[in-house]
Amino acid sequence: MSALAEVLLRPDIRRGDQFAVAPAHPAGCALGVPTFASGFAALDAELPGGGWPRGALTEILVDGHGLGELSLLLPALRGLRAGGDWVLAIAPPDGNCTLHAPAWAAAGVDLERLAVVSPAAARDALWAAEQALLSGAPQAVLCWSAAADSRAVRRLQVAAAQGGQGGAVAFLFRPLRCAREPSAAALRLSLAAAPQGALAVTILKRRGPPLAEPIVLALPRPAAWRNHVSSLAGATPAVRSLCAA
Amino acid sequence: MSPLWLALHLPSAASARPESPGSPGSPESTESLGGLACWAGSFTPRLSLAPPAGLLLEIGGCLRLWGGLDRLLDAVLAGLEVQGHEAALASAPSPQAALWLARCTTHTHCTDIDSMHARLDALPIASIDLDVAAREKLQRFGARTLGDARRLPRDGLARRIGMAAVLTIARAYGEAVDPRPDFVFPENFSQSLELPAAVEVAPTLLFVARRLTAALAGWLAARQAGVAECVLELAHSSRETTYLVLRFAEATRDAQRFERVLRERLERLALAGPVTVLRLAAAAVEPLPGQSGTLFDGAGRAATAMAALSERLRARLGEAGVFRLATHADHRPECATQKVGAGGTAPVVSGRVAATPPRPFWLLDRPEALAEVAGRPYRRGPLRLVSGCERIESGWWDAGEAESFGDIRRDYFVALTPDARWAWVFRELRAPGGWYLHGWFA
Repeated sequence: MSALAEVLLRPDIRRGDQFAVAPAHPAGCALGVPTFASGFAALDAELPGGGWPRGALTEILVDGHGLGELSLLLPALRGLRAGGDWVLAIAPPDGNCTLHAPAWAAAGVDLERLAVVSPAAARDALWAAEQALLSGAPQAVLCWSAAADSRAVRRLQVAAAQGGQGGAVAFLFRPLRCAREPSAAALRLSLAAAPQGALAVTILKRRGPPLAEPIVLALPRPAAWRNHVSSLAGATPAVRSLCAA
Repeated sequence: MSPLWLALHLPSAASARPESPGSPGSPESTESLGGLACWAGSFTPRLSLAPPAGLLLEIGGCLRLWGGLDRLLDAVLAGLEVQGHEAALASAPSPQAALWLARCTTHTHCTDIDSMHARLDALPIASIDLDVAAREKLQRFGARTLGDARRLPRDGLARRIGMAAVLTIARAYGEAVDPRPDFVFPENFSQSLELPAAVEVAPTLLFVARRLTAALAGWLAARQAGVAECVLELAHSSRETTYLVLRFAEATRDAQRFERVLRERLERLALAGPVTVLRLAAAAVEPLPGQSGTLFDGAGRAATAMAALSERLRARLGEAGVFRLATHADHRPECATQKVGAGGTAPVVSGRVAATPPRPFWLLDRPEALAEVAGRPYRRGPLRLVSGCERIESGWWDAGEAESFGDIRRDYFVALTPDARWAWVFRELRAPGGWYLHGWFA
């Protein structure tokens, strides 16, 4: 029994029904905080450490654009601005999309400290993400890759972990079909539309107990929501009740 | 600050050319020492060559900068190991003593006169490089070590073995001034290295090229300069020379950055033929002052790390692969984003755009044509327009120019797709009209 208690004291071991706790920082100062507040209280409450993990990979599973996947990250990216930290965005290699500067500037992202990589091939995108995480230069790395497999995800997680607790917040966007694949990422989310223009965030994996219910977040939208979309009528009752509350 | 000399003894430099075995001042040995002296410029600005195999660094003035003798020695040894040089090191308050100690002992470091005298006294006469006649005479007098020689009466000794030898010994003991010519760093950096055997695989060259990049870094440090571009020439025996141009995001003199960019380039290079000679030349040299140690320099360090990262990415993805964004005061969405490239000194906000209705985070490079059903845009179901109309009518001035977007007349709307995505669509007002998807509010 005492042997078990000793094992449970290890920083890399956690009980299945508890959040992973960061090992106490020697100085006990703010540097020891391994996360970065997401800016959404409802989400922070469910993320181990109370925010996006630093020095670890966060995988966001979403199909296509336009659901609010970037609005979800914006409060955190705005927070980096105060520290003069860099953000690196690695655009989807095959997409017809480019980042539209006026929107990013209007959202409060410091364009002076936003570097954009436009890789020609999927391999280059993953290579660039790995190099960026290993260099420790940017404090946030955003990467879109439909081609990433479990091995690539593991490489990115290892690269992100090299930065340690002061490391970068690393976001990897992958299509929803990857949800079934095993993944080394510390945090996995899937996104879906919720009624009234909200966003339903399902936590597929976290360093803590599993969470069945999606978290519904109200995001800033470009226009007011108008009447219901018929296809969403079948959303789970839990989502609807959370919305009403 | 009392002077302290660090001597490097390089047996390989003396024996590099067997046909001229270490004749003092022979051009070949001076040249290979010169490359090493350039590298040593990253440690101290005051250097002196002691051909055929010696290099002297005056380190008394820079010990504090390096945080003590041990740290400096660690850095020198690490640098030598990276370049594949084998050298013996010794330091002493007098340059001649440092040279002799480096030649005859291993890692003797004496910082004060007394310990230097004790070390010198123990040196055997046979191993120091006095001229042969003087050495033989001293040994015939029964002097085995320098200490024995010093106990002989000085006047008589000068008559018997010559004034020059006595003066050299006195200089070693710090009893006579020892003027040394300072090494003069060349005005332009261009160094070549002959490979012992022709190399056929590009990545193998990296190890050899390290000597050149290390020399370049030292040369730049001594000149308080940085380089934004340098050229590595790969000379082949039968074909035309290959030129590799290495570009950096900002002027730098960091040997590790040189090496990282070089590695990316060499790994992807197919050689035209076996390489026999490497030459590195600094092309664009810019003044780059040293950095003062400050208490809060986090932002500066992040910017330097970011520049190093982006030049690494550019080496593989191409110059256009990494950029920053800038807004541009143009109402046409296609023209509102500017890419700021490698020489990114342009202001990131090149014009103030008046407050506009919301803009999408993603803009499609080519607007996607949408079908029209019952007067409304249709994309896997009818789109609902959830905002008022924003008319953008602009650009008549460059309608005739090549590669410009020309005159546009469009009505833009925020639209919701059936699966609740937020899209930016427009209706073309010019013929033939129609609906288009132009962006996503992500």
